[in-house]
Amino acid sequence: MENAIEVAGLVKVYKNGTKAVDGISFHVARGEIFGLLGPNGAGKSTTIKILIGLLNPTAGELRINGVDIRAYPAEIKRATGYAAQETAIDDRLTGWENISLQGRFYHLPGREIRDRATEMLKMFDLYERRKDLTATYSGGMLKRLDIACALIHRPQILFLDEPTLGLDVQTRQMIWDYIERLRTEYGMTIFVTTHYMEEADVLCDRVAIIDQGKIVALDTPDALKAGIGGDVIYVRFSGIDGNEAALRTKIGAVAHVRRVEPTADGAYRVIVEQAGEETIPQLFALCDQLGITINAVSLKKPSLDDVYLHFTGRAMRDAEESREAHARARIMRGRARRGK
Amino acid sequence: MTLLFDTWYVAKRELIKFFRTKVRLVVTLVQPVIWLAFMGNTMNQVTDNPFGAQLFGTSNYLAFMTPGVILMTVLFGGVFGGMSIVWDRRIGYLEKLMAAPINRGAIPFGKSLAVMVQGAIQVAAIVIIATLFGVRFQTGIGGILVIILLASLFSGILSGISLSLAASIRTIETLMAVVNLFTLPLMFASNALFPIDMMPGWLATIARLNPVTYAVGPIRELTLHGWEWGKILPGAGVIVGLTLVFMGVSQLVFQRATSE
Repeated sequence: MENAIEVAGLVKVYKNGTKAVDGISFHVARGEIFGLLGPNGAGKSTTIKILIGLLNPTAGELRINGVDIRAYPAEIKRATGYAAQETAIDDRLTGWENISLQGRFYHLPGREIRDRATEMLKMFDLYERRKDLTATYSGGMLKRLDIACALIHRPQILFLDEPTLGLDVQTRQMIWDYIERLRTEYGMTIFVTTHYMEEADVLCDRVAIIDQGKIVALDTPDALKAGIGGDVIYVRFSGIDGNEAALRTKIGAVAHVRRVEPTADGAYRVIVEQAGEETIPQLFALCDQLGITINAVSLKKPSLDDVYLHFTGRAMRDAEESREAHARARIMRGRARRGK
Repeated sequence: MTLLFDTWYVAKRELIKFFRTKVRLVVTLVQPVIWLAFMGNTMNQVTDNPFGAQLFGTSNYLAFMTPGVILMTVLFGGVFGGMSIVWDRRIGYLEKLMAAPINRGAIPFGKSLAVMVQGAIQVAAIVIIATLFGVRFQTGIGGILVIILLASLFSGILSGISLSLAASIRTIETLMAVVNLFTLPLMFASNALFPIDMMPGWLATIARLNPVTYAVGPIRELTLHGWEWGKILPGAGVIVGLTLVFMGVSQLVFQRATSE
């Protein structure tokens, strides 16, 4: 079966000369949740906008459901749904008017719009508020309505650009639950960009890290984390008196252990290639044999943040700080505007 | 076919909001009342003598002025076409529209259609108010319908201009300022409120070239006199021509601004 999305050698140079995407290639399987991660200006939004036909690629092969997107733009538009980073909801229309107009723009017949809008508004828990002006909705409700609108024409592939940006933790969780449901209930393929690494880690089947227009890493979150150098087990022993060297050699011989280092506070750091949680019982068994007690143990797994740091040479947090502030400012402006 | 369908729904969105904004509806009705009641009454002595009546073509200044008020209303209403595009770009709605499989041409056309329908409604309201003030439209219902149609087409010209400007102007405030920069002079350098024969030579020259004067011509003719085609057709032709030109320009500019 062909992939939902296939991209090969995609390049985008804007009219002003900016090279936003610099030769990226990847594919997304049907039913996959695929995450594109990267800082502001890395080329995430540009990539999405090319895939849904909002921007023309400068070079590259792009196929959606095996169809060349440049040859059949209208067909691609009907197969894909898109919710932009900004929640594009008209706040002087009701929720119902917003979603049914969207249905009209996808040329659906009136009856289907009614059925589908009802279904989507119910799924996103907005049906009760459908007759209210969206100016009265909360940020989370607007985002949900925006995603519901993107689903009015039953797309097979949903593109979400930063669906949780600027939302509070609970709302973010809720949005991700809806995204999961779309996959399990409708078998939808979901292409999402985010800069919340924990979210991408939990929800994406595979992630690509994009930096300055190039994909620097692409794999499952676990493989990426394993790839950059292993879990760290922190252990504190008692009753070793003088046997330190022997203990270190023995631990070093346990499967998958890379190295053992003493820490400044008299404990040890055991670096394991992967699956540190499986190494811990072996450490206990070893200590049992040697008559040594383990007083404390903890496991630290590398996060996607570490992966990001590894591949781009800077922490996501630094790159994102200004962006968060920017998003907050935008939301405050939006509120002020609606308040008027 | 899709173009018509899409144009209608782009326009429908604007019209839902137009009818929802009660304040704007009220202002739409109050403005002509203010013009006709104050300006009209103040100026009535000017035409209340044989000399004035000859100069203005009627002894009722209100009847002379009503076509001017109609043109003024649609002149200032046209800016809303461009404003809604600026707004849509700002909230991301424009992008959402373009991500849908609609005919892109429907976006500027739909915005203009909304402006023209709003213009027609406003003009109908002015006609009713003017009638209440004692203005008699000489050509009756038929003439009134033609007046509404011509005024509505004229608002399409202004909508086309403001849409074209909106492609490169990114804030509503700037767009308003730029549009006002030429709507006000267009208004006052025309025969909308005073006959050209009363103007100093230089102003009269400008007024004769002014499209507003061309638009006032047939509307005033239909209001004051009757179906005199020789005086109606030239102005009507200019209105239709300019509407087509600026609809086309707004299309071109929009397509260019949105193709990256």
